[in-house]
Amino acid sequence: MMDAQKLGLVFFPAFDWAISPSHPEREERLLYTRDQIVEEGLLDMPNIREYKPKLATYRDMERVHIGVPDLASLINNAHLVSAGGALAAADAVMRREVKRAFALVRPPGHHAMRVVHGTRGFCAINIEAIMVEYLRKVYGVRKVAIVDTDVHHGDGTQDVFYHDAETLFISFHQDGRTLYPGTGFTDEMGSPMALGTTMNIPLPPGTTDDGLHQVLDHLIMPVLADFKPDIIINSAGQDNHYSDPLANMAITAQGYARLADKLKADIAVLEGGYSIEDALPYVNVGIILGMAGLDYSKVVEPDIKKCPTQSGEVTRYIKNLITERQGMWAMREGLKRDAVAKAGDFWQRTRNIYYDERGINEQQTEKVRLCPKCGGYLTIGTEANGPGVGYKSAFIAIISREACSHCRQMAIDTVHRAKTQNDFQHYFVQNKYEDILEKI
Amino acid sequence: MFLGLDVGGTFTDGAVVVNGEVVSVAKTPTTHDNLLVGILVVIDQLIKEMGSKEFSRIALSTTIVTNALVEGKVDQVGLLIIPGPGMDIQAALPVEPYVLSGYIDHRGQVMAEPSLAEVRAALRQFDERAVFAVSGKFSVRNPSLELAVVKWLQEQASPDHITMGSGVAGALNFLRRTNSAYYNAAVWRHFNRFATAVESALTKRDIRTPVYILKADGGTLPLGVARNYPVEAIFTGPASSVLGIMAMNPTKIPSLSLDIGGTTTDIALWQNGVPLFAEDGAKVAGFVTALRGFRLSSVGLGGDSFVRRTPEGVLAVGPMRMGPAMAVGGKYPTVTDAMVVAQLIDYGNYELAVKAMEQVATQGQTVVEVADLVLDEAINIICAAINQMLAQQANQPVYCVEDMIRGTEISVEQIIGVGGSAGGLVPLIAKRMGLTYQIPVQEKVANAIGAAVARPTVDITLRADTVAGYYTVAELGIKNQLPSRKFVLADACELAAKHLAELALNRGISLGATEVVQSEEFNVIRGFNTVGKIMTCRLQVKPGVLGNRKEGL
Repeated sequence: MMDAQKLGLVFFPAFDWAISPSHPEREERLLYTRDQIVEEGLLDMPNIREYKPKLATYRDMERVHIGVPDLASLINNAHLVSAGGALAAADAVMRREVKRAFALVRPPGHHAMRVVHGTRGFCAINIEAIMVEYLRKVYGVRKVAIVDTDVHHGDGTQDVFYHDAETLFISFHQDGRTLYPGTGFTDEMGSPMALGTTMNIPLPPGTTDDGLHQVLDHLIMPVLADFKPDIIINSAGQDNHYSDPLANMAITAQGYARLADKLKADIAVLEGGYSIEDALPYVNVGIILGMAGLDYSKVVEPDIKKCPTQSGEVTRYIKNLITERQGMWAMREGLKRDAVAKAGDFWQRTRNIYYDERGINEQQTEKVRLCPKCGGYLTIGTEANGPGVGYKSAFIAIISREACSHCRQMAIDTVHRAKTQNDFQHYFVQNKYEDILEKI
Repeated sequence: MFLGLDVGGTFTDGAVVVNGEVVSVAKTPTTHDNLLVGILVVIDQLIKEMGSKEFSRIALSTTIVTNALVEGKVDQVGLLIIPGPGMDIQAALPVEPYVLSGYIDHRGQVMAEPSLAEVRAALRQFDERAVFAVSGKFSVRNPSLELAVVKWLQEQASPDHITMGSGVAGALNFLRRTNSAYYNAAVWRHFNRFATAVESALTKRDIRTPVYILKADGGTLPLGVARNYPVEAIFTGPASSVLGIMAMNPTKIPSLSLDIGGTTTDIALWQNGVPLFAEDGAKVAGFVTALRGFRLSSVGLGGDSFVRRTPEGVLAVGPMRMGPAMAVGGKYPTVTDAMVVAQLIDYGNYELAVKAMEQVATQGQTVVEVADLVLDEAINIICAAINQMLAQQANQPVYCVEDMIRGTEISVEQIIGVGGSAGGLVPLIAKRMGLTYQIPVQEKVANAIGAAVARPTVDITLRADTVAGYYTVAELGIKNQLPSRKFVLADACELAAKHLAELALNRGISLGATEVVQSEEFNVIRGFNTVGKIMTCRLQVKPGVLGNRKEGL
């Protein structure tokens, strides 16, 4: 019989994988976390069960991603394992072997977008997004809420689900004016048919546990209750910690543990967090205990005195932000109606996307068919330039899971027409209706 | 001339092995009130048969520790823990501990000191206790806090015995080390009384042979060392059985062994001639510990397993035992009766076995048909347990990409069958699984033979932190400066070998072949520069059996 609070832990520290020897994403990243977890005896708790990852397949990954020219040349085995770790966590929960699961795996994924030209923000493929589409395909899950608690805006996850009204994406993060990737502002709310199901909460530097839990109690939890998702996913980045070298927030292990306890995510997936010695061992133990329903009150960093307090200015800023976001959520139906009416049959946007790892610049134009009968389809024209990769381009149509026959045909025709015009190097149809990615 | 003794639940067995050959065996009922009585009966019998008492070693596998726990012959232990921040382990401990301040972090740095005033308060609370256990989180990375507390305890109370967590195991896992330390202290007095009785009985017989105690991991400890680590002497029955198999069937082929007895079948997986170790330590009285042992899986199916029809008419086999087979006068049908009727074995009375099968046959079914169905079901149960164990091996968590891609599956090629019911069932199981098999000539005292030839083992974990500039060996309570020159993983392994030799010498055992059980090396980066390395090297004397060449102890 299943323990009421049993937690599945997929632990995969990838001790033989690094982006480069001194990169924050290096072999050592989860070493101290492993030491702490093993030393505490966490894996011996009767309500914690360790799982081995599986290997994600290209079918799993291409349900989300289109790699240019192909995915295989842009990733390596480590990515198959970390995505597979998220899938193993999903299996454990959906087969009801455990109540919740935590994929404590690397490499991370939340900066990887639908179209992949390379690695950005340490991410090549989006392991949560791959898991979400897997949950839908294999287990028939529909409404999904993703709460991204990494200090950096989860721009990849936002991109993948920007046109999907059945996926609520909430991200709180250090304000994009002060931190990579420089996005995640309040006006990024989803394309017209999915307006409101992207919610960004940019927090000022110096936010502490107090500010974070204000946001959680008065904004995130009520929004989740309102949305009524079938499943809650937590993109569990740990770089809001006061000791993180890449950001400027002031969250503690207690703050993260209480967050895990309140959020009660069905599945959490590790994202960033680079204070590998001073934060990660404690934050991970806190999250694991919180998710397993065990007492985490004694998980305190030895250097807790270094954690700053929150300024009055930050407190006021957060209060106003909560009020504004609550208002947006309350008005979202009206906003959506207006946006759909304004857009007409098609909605379009053009963006530049930067891949920091090798300095690739991508220009991307998305065109969404707003179909009154179905989820419609999306076309993407993409051109990328960068040292070492040269010039790459592709034209892609994405057919939604429940597209009507008319939209399906229109999407395929659009790609064939583009191919005869020969403006791009590669042509794809990502057909979610038939669960295949076709190269045309 | 090695003498091995195995004190089992029913019999105390003995065997003398010379150059890998069993030359003499003895057997007597176990004397539960005083194990030593039965042990001495066997020793005397073997001396008489051999006409000599010039043994090079006497090795004992006993239930003395298990009995002490079952019968409550344990001391009240004053358990002091230094947990620092983290999970609260108190609910997972067998007794309520006294919690001291102080903290060592994961790098082995002292983050907070313990306090003498608290130790004094603990002593007031633990008034009248004469044995203590002290265990601190990350004490294997730095034993200094445990050592400080032990020193204070000795100064303030001069207890009879103190067990230190970092002394019972070198591996990480504070919870398991704490439980091991607690049980070690709890059985310390009882075991030492036994050890003294053994020594004086042997002296009285003018036997000067060194005595060794078998451990759950198949290694042996000199009795003098075991006095400090008595908890190591628990659960040695399965270990001696596995060693018995190893002694009689040297094989390098990936194998699985099935020890099919009356009630249960014990399964072990073998690679390169040795059984796989359990990843985690054993459970003692329901509490997880750091005690290493072989990975064994036990399933409730044996020759005496009860065969019946359920109220719904379904043929059911085991796991309960209602007595011996009807073929030998039992009251209920058993798997053995089915084997007799199927003419797989010649055992007991054939007519009575036929009667047993008639009881479970449906109308129109011949006794041979129903016997085949019974055996089919028995094999289903054993094969399911085997497959579960193989799946568990395939699902063993690994932490490197390369290991994920390579996989952890073992493709077993043969079955080694031992135990009373192996002869009838193992050929059928092998056929079902498409494997070869061997059923070695049955030795009546396999466990005692296993004990006789068990190689002494010892292991250490060396951890070097070149940033901090020191290394630790928990098992030796060492924290030393690293040499100032460049220090790499090979140096760490070399240093570990040196300390392993030192520990072996301390324990009075000669160093046989050693192997690296685990080694890892990580760069420590500050900013964007590599400032040093953290290395771990775990080295052990290979467990196994003493061969017929003149091998040292």
